[in-house]
Amino acid sequence: MMKNTNLPSGTRDEFGIEAEVKETIQNKLFKTFRQRGFRKLTTPVLEYSDVFKPLSAEDYRPYQLLDDQGEPLVLRPDLTLPVARVMSTTGIELPVKWYYGGDVFRVKKQLSGSYNQLTQAGIEIVGYKGLKADWECLEVALSGCKSMGIENVTIELSHAKFVDTLIEQLELPDPTKDSLKQALFAKDLSKYSQLSQPLSDTQFGRFLGEWPWLFGNFDTVMAVVETLPEIDGLQSIITSLKSTAAFINQLFPEANVTLDLSIPSPQSYYTGMAFRGFTDKSAGYLFSGGRYDDLLTNFQNVKTSAVGVAFDVDALVERTSLPDDQPGALIFFTSDQWQQAEETLAKVPNSTLCLTDSFESAQRLAASSNSRLIDLTKSR
Amino acid sequence: MERIKIALTKGRTEDQVVPLLEAAGINCDGIRNKQRRLIFDEDPRYEIILVKGPDVLTYLNNGSVQIGIVGSDILTEQENFQYAMLDLDVGKCRFVLASTKNFNPQAHRRKIIATKYPNITKRYFQGIGEDVEIIKIEGSVELAPLIGLADAIVDIVETGNTLRENNLQIYAKLQPVNTKVVVNRLALRQYQPQIKELIANLENANQQMVQSKLIKE
Repeated sequence: MMKNTNLPSGTRDEFGIEAEVKETIQNKLFKTFRQRGFRKLTTPVLEYSDVFKPLSAEDYRPYQLLDDQGEPLVLRPDLTLPVARVMSTTGIELPVKWYYGGDVFRVKKQLSGSYNQLTQAGIEIVGYKGLKADWECLEVALSGCKSMGIENVTIELSHAKFVDTLIEQLELPDPTKDSLKQALFAKDLSKYSQLSQPLSDTQFGRFLGEWPWLFGNFDTVMAVVETLPEIDGLQSIITSLKSTAAFINQLFPEANVTLDLSIPSPQSYYTGMAFRGFTDKSAGYLFSGGRYDDLLTNFQNVKTSAVGVAFDVDALVERTSLPDDQPGALIFFTSDQWQQAEETLAKVPNSTLCLTDSFESAQRLAASSNSRLIDLTKSR
Repeated sequence: MERIKIALTKGRTEDQVVPLLEAAGINCDGIRNKQRRLIFDEDPRYEIILVKGPDVLTYLNNGSVQIGIVGSDILTEQENFQYAMLDLDVGKCRFVLASTKNFNPQAHRRKIIATKYPNITKRYFQGIGEDVEIIKIEGSVELAPLIGLADAIVDIVETGNTLRENNLQIYAKLQPVNTKVVVNRLALRQYQPQIKELIANLENANQQMVQSKLIKE
């Protein structure tokens, strides 16, 4: 059967006001990135599938195809790893600040209502070790939402190393540690409480009882963390989280800062703080990012500091109230009046040339599209 | 406060879970006397919808509901990635490999297996290093080996009565099944206090039910 009138499941056309709002949002973001001194980096949609090896296959099933040599290619399922590929192969001098925008492609379950082509726009800061780089990402993320008029943003902080650092300290056999971690990440409370039961009378007891619920209000979560005994490596994590929360509270007092210490690192290459933003109403995250100093080690032997954040542009569009279609104006003219028509077009907002030959059809068009008709032939 | 939306698997799961919901303090009068309704808002805190098992996850993944109550068979088959937070001691049964008396599990040939659960079947046979041909059947799976469509079946068994009545026997026990409370990942963050309360209430109700069953026995 010919399929020339169908779209593949999971794809969509975008047109009219929605497509325009999306373009406006993208341009606004790009402009802010440029104003902050970021440079544009555009990578191809097609890449060798090896570039994306570090991604967990469950979350990012890519579309695959073969090139003419039989090498497996994918439509990029992510925009950060291509940046890492560029950085590790071009010898660009560090530090550097990139911004990018484009579509990523992920195979979604057929007929589930999810889209497989998602638009992202984001930044990567490469070569800065300190928290200041993390904070610039947060600044970009939160001021970006603010400039879109998105209010009541909740920003959730987490840390890629917290869970492992803590589990390491527990007196459990290694396989149990691993099962406990999996149960914690899956929030499988039934299994978790069974596995953590033997430690309930230890100095970790209070903390372990709360751990699967250890997300939400920053101070409440921190209060539970403070019941922990002193642990090597944990103090620096806590300090960085606290100073970051203070930073956000100072610059964005209206943002709601939460902390989640019960989730896995977003990807294996994350090494430090991770964060994501959402609102009460959104069905998905508005932005997500973090520090991934191990990102480039997938391509080269040397570690390179990197931190970034990406907006889910489609989620931003969804949260933006679409402007009403303004009634426009149609400019009717004869072909020898072209210059005059151009002048009118430039003067009258929301106007467009009416390309009909007869005045009657121009009138009909104006009536059906609810537009005002400007008739230049009368002024001859 | 906004209502928490719960998608409950209709049918047997619904019958077994409603007493638990009531024990957890949720008004289920509407569900008990539902006629043709599909949405129930008798309890001011919740909106409960009744849907088919696999649809529970579709609603949950799209964020249309915050909580789903569904069998682990469906969660595994559909490769659920939301939080399966709580095990309920209802809907307990088990996946089995079953067939007629003549079936030889050790036979050296590529077996044909009929099932409603192709993913679970695939994973089981991959796990034991065997390659099989899987045929997906929508219902009355027991028929397949009797009529000669398949060598054996993978299906859920509660008491084993249906198998026995059809002269089928169990050749291998696969994973157990029970009903689970599943929570949308983002919703858990958006509605943390309400969901925490609901989970705690359900956990208590479940424990009480288990204990009272033990006493009866």
